[in-house]
Amino acid sequence: MDPEEDMHDARGESSQEEEDFYSEGYPSDGEDEDDDGDDAGYDFVDNDSDDPSTDVRRLQQNYTTLNEENISQRQADDINRVSTVLSIKRWEACVLLRHYNWSVSKVHDEWFADEENVRKTVGLLEKHIEMPNKRELTCGICFENYPRDTMKASPCGHPFCFSCWRGYISTSINDGPGCLMLRCPDPTCRAAVGLDMVDSMASREDREKYARYLRRSYVEDNRKTKWCPAPGCEYAVEFVMGSGSYDVCCKCSYSFCWNCTEEAHRPVDCGTVARWILKNSAESENMNWILANSKPCPKCKRPIEKNQGCMHITCTPPCKFEFCWLCLGPWTEHGERTGGFYACNRYESAKQEGAYDESERRREMAKNSLERYTHYYERWAANQSSRQKALTDLQALQNEKLEKLSDRQSQPESQLKFITDAWLQIVECRRVLKWTYAYGFYLHENEHAKRQFFEYLQGEAESGLERLHQCAEKELQVYLEAETPLKDFNDFRTKLAGLTSVTRNYFENLVRALESGLNDVGPSNSQAGSNQAACSKSSSSKSLAPGKSKSGKSRTGGAATSSRSGSSRGMDDSIWTCDSCTCTNPKSNSHCQACDRHR
Amino acid sequence: MTSSSVPSRKVLSKIASNRLQKEVMEWQTNPPAGFKYKVNDSLQRWIIEVTGAPGTLYTGETYQLQVDFPEHYPMEAPQVIFIPPAPLHPHIYSNGHICLDILYDSWSPAMTVSSVCISILSMLSSSPAKERPADNDRYVRNCRNGRSPKETRWWFHDDKV
Ligand SMILES: [Zn+2]
Ligand SMILES: [Zn+2]
Ligand SMILES: [Zn+2]
Ligand SMILES: [Zn+2]
Ligand SMILES: [Zn+2]
Ligand SMILES: [Zn+2]
Ligand SMILES: [Zn+2]
Repeated sequence: MDPEEDMHDARGESSQEEEDFYSEGYPSDGEDEDDDGDDAGYDFVDNDSDDPSTDVRRLQQNYTTLNEENISQRQADDINRVSTVLSIKRWEACVLLRHYNWSVSKVHDEWFADEENVRKTVGLLEKHIEMPNKRELTCGICFENYPRDTMKASPCGHPFCFSCWRGYISTSINDGPGCLMLRCPDPTCRAAVGLDMVDSMASREDREKYARYLRRSYVEDNRKTKWCPAPGCEYAVEFVMGSGSYDVCCKCSYSFCWNCTEEAHRPVDCGTVARWILKNSAESENMNWILANSKPCPKCKRPIEKNQGCMHITCTPPCKFEFCWLCLGPWTEHGERTGGFYACNRYESAKQEGAYDESERRREMAKNSLERYTHYYERWAANQSSRQKALTDLQALQNEKLEKLSDRQSQPESQLKFITDAWLQIVECRRVLKWTYAYGFYLHENEHAKRQFFEYLQGEAESGLERLHQCAEKELQVYLEAETPLKDFNDFRTKLAGLTSVTRNYFENLVRALESGLNDVGPSNSQAGSNQAACSKSSSSKSLAPGKSKSGKSRTGGAATSSRSGSSRGMDDSIWTCDSCTCTNPKSNSHCQACDRHR
Repeated sequence: MTSSSVPSRKVLSKIASNRLQKEVMEWQTNPPAGFKYKVNDSLQRWIIEVTGAPGTLYTGETYQLQVDFPEHYPMEAPQVIFIPPAPLHPHIYSNGHICLDILYDSWSPAMTVSSVCISILSMLSSSPAKERPADNDRYVRNCRNGRSPKETRWWFHDDKV
């Protein structure tokens, strides 16, 4: 017999099995989830792929919502796998998995690399030691003697009586989740005390608590899962890392970012959200905060927050302007001579000479900065409340209006799904729009091309959404109030469905464009080509702006219509507007992509 | 079992007093070297005299340990402190509190007063210098309202000493 051989065999088998497991479960990603790493996530760069595969990708979920039962099931499966592959007892597998944060592959790797060391660390003895072979034994806790067969021991053979075991286990369970790493009471012994001992000796109440800790640990200590942060929600979400967006939607319908567990925030990244939230809380606590902690960069005018004692401030890239916090002069004019890093005598002496009125200047800067912040914050908050309102409206719609409408228009409710879809889209758009204001706040003032393009896209998004909202709210009212000819209602359906789809496309492209840092826009003005790529997708909503021509083959002339951002992006000739549903279509299409009506 | 406060005021459970009686008997036949314990009527509080081991910084010096047992001893650790004046030691505060893991997180019900005493003596014997912990004043100030060392979140000093 050769244990070495066996182990190598087992290893080969296990990794094979593992691969199968993942490729079965997650067709999109067969890779080992454990060294996936942190480079995960943002691979939206291919944002000009118009091919339908992007839609497929969107539908392919990279996460799963788990209820209590699912969690227990997965945990049991993992325990069984490890137990089978390593030929150890289930409770031992459980101790091992807990120690290695429930990563099956990590357990396998460590075990086959150095079983002896793993056993020592975790407290699993290779050979079970029997209790001393005497008729009576002394319990190591209460020091009473008991017949041997009423005593129990972990595989280390240190005997304790039933009631001491029970007290020991209970004390540990009531102390918290540390009970999952329980060891033999003997201070010289580190043998693990696991699920089997708990199950055979603890009270029912304690057993249930222990099981709860096990389940919690499986979610909280596992890198693949997190609890849904919605208050009162008991689902967990399992995420496949390295597979795209972090946004997940729990079965309770709460959408959140799996990475930072804030509310879903595409297109801005987690860092920006954290900064923005911090900023808002600081602001609401005390508007003066900004006066003390934030000044506009003297070069690019973006607000700079000072967070350390040093007066040497470097603006964030791409500006990188280095300046003095006190006098706002360039840092190159500073150094030992001006008083070191924590003071500025240039500032002090100027103040003494009355060269500039400090408070005046301070107020002026604060005003700029504050006004700028207020501008973005108000719009961010306005979209937040619009979203809240839209959610309420959606509920009202689902609770009563749809039924009423189905009555009035003699349509089965299943035929009215397009209205719910429209409202869901509105809710989502409000969310995206909201975050574009945080995005805008942190965008550099001196990246003119980018900023202009950003504001253009944002403006288009806003008016497009406005139109959809209008249609879903006001126009719907007509059909709720009276019976109308079927044709009218069908036209309404066509229009609303068209607007929904167009708006969805527009926003999806907007999100992708912002996530890629608007990289289609060069710092110079060479954007005609690349911009067009981004715009041809967004072009659809161009015609959503009010004031479109009434003539059949209207072309939305750049210069003639809105002068927003003043850019005629050369797409005037490349698109046409559908008469029926007002969608914009590429010239190459002979039928409207939204309602399929002929040009 | 209620979860009311001040556990040290509660009388010992049956299990605790049985176990302590056994410990008293064991101590009487086999006391740890360097310690004296005079049996009194209170099983719940022991006062033990420690004498510094020969050849150490504390040779010949004597100190007094106060050991209080909680209701659910030995499942719960006893509270062990030096009655001031406490020995000058980098892990012993001037109010008598001792920074030693087995008295807190690493307590096990299979430990005894005797084994705790031995650990404390070995801690004294290995001391390189007679000095207070760096944070002595701050800690002692924080304990002014009679806080038990068992309520402290101990950050255990390195165990080289
Ligand atoms: Zn043991
Ligand atoms: Zn016992
Ligand atoms: Zn949820
Ligand atoms: Zn995030
Ligand atoms: Zn700057
Ligand atoms: Zn300066
Ligand atoms: Zn159309």
